[in-house]
Amino acid sequence: MKASFIINNSSKELELNPNETLLSVLRKNGFTEVKCGCNEGECGACLVLLEEKSVNSCQVLAMSVQNKNIKTVKGIGTFHDPNLIQKIFASAGADQCGFCSPGMVISAYNLLKENPNPTDEEIVEGLDGNLCRCTGYVKIIEAVKRTSNVLQENNLNAE
Amino acid sequence: MLPENLKWYFPSNIAQAVKLISQPGVMLHAGGTRILKTQSQKISALVDVCNLKLNYIKHNKHTFHLGSAITFGEVIKYSKDNNCLKMLGSALTQAASTPLRNRITIGGSIKDFPLWSNLYAPLIALDAKVDVRGNKAGIFSIEDYVTEGIIKSKHIVKEIIINDDGSLIWKVKRFALLKFEYPIFNIAIALKVKNKIIQDAKLVITGVKNRYKRLKHAEKVLIDKQISSETFSEAEKFIEPKFISDYKYSSSYKETAAKVYFNDLLNEILKDNL
Repeated sequence: MKASFIINNSSKELELNPNETLLSVLRKNGFTEVKCGCNEGECGACLVLLEEKSVNSCQVLAMSVQNKNIKTVKGIGTFHDPNLIQKIFASAGADQCGFCSPGMVISAYNLLKENPNPTDEEIVEGLDGNLCRCTGYVKIIEAVKRTSNVLQENNLNAE
Repeated sequence: MLPENLKWYFPSNIAQAVKLISQPGVMLHAGGTRILKTQSQKISALVDVCNLKLNYIKHNKHTFHLGSAITFGEVIKYSKDNNCLKMLGSALTQAASTPLRNRITIGGSIKDFPLWSNLYAPLIALDAKVDVRGNKAGIFSIEDYVTEGIIKSKHIVKEIIINDDGSLIWKVKRFALLKFEYPIFNIAIALKVKNKIIQDAKLVITGVKNRYKRLKHAEKVLIDKQISSETFSEAEKFIEPKFISDYKYSSSYKETAAKVYFNDLLNEILKDNL
């Protein structure tokens, strides 16, 4: 069957089964930037923004979010036009294998929109739904702080 | 795995939704996190609440009405932005993670008193009420909702009603080794204090035998007394929650941990109020 979604500001009709998660539907319809990690809502690799709030797409049944606004990491910034968060993640060396990075960027984006000047503790809390097996989180937290500093210095917002 | 031929319904009012869920195999869907955890093949259809307009927080002076489809994340944000419902906000912050809290709903965490719910201890301590629609409709105290069989009937939770004028002295704590683990127990302490005298006290623990316990003997000791180490030491003699052993933890371990946690929380209250 098919259902309509608004993905990265574009209306799409996607093929899906009624028992499928949003993660599964997105990936099989070409949105492979949304990664499948644990499939249990604990690793954060599959995070997307649903109505501007971060959710684990593996814990959302796709049929329940028809016609809702969904943003993947490519909706925040693309390869040719990256968001500041993505640029700073890359320059700060905040990725190694890169598998957790889409989810981390989504969480960082979500955090900085709500709280443009987070403390270290608030950054750790804001990324509490994201696991990374490679980096030890140090550079990731640094990247978020650096982004926050740039936003403050230039009076910008996360978008 | 959920069945491939799963049916979906999107009713536009609560009466329609109640009628649908009265059929066997038909479940309510709000955030959906519990449904995805259980993945039961017995579910033949889901009734989505998105059109029922249950995602609200309204207040009239100190009475708060939380629609059952409001998420933990929304309650936490509301409590921070409006400097209210702090006890509830604090309890919910201890559960799961930011993205999961953006899906887990208040109603889903109350209905059927799930094992992972952090909600029951603070709601009992706050004397919250549940507005239920279905076979046994009405407004019930949380304790009656659990103990009077309403929880087992086919019903929809419309909203939770909480009176919170911000004057309570409170503490909430969840005991789990990891944030994602189901809690071993949850504790909530709420004291109504006027002119330094404790006028009312609620000491609640969930995760015990029979799911939850109000520590009424300890509460009685506190009432009409001043907040002091002597008062609290006296009350602690009556804090004896009973647990069941499981494959991870013995009952005596849990009982000891609960007493330590109560002691810690009471000491924090003492420190904050001297």
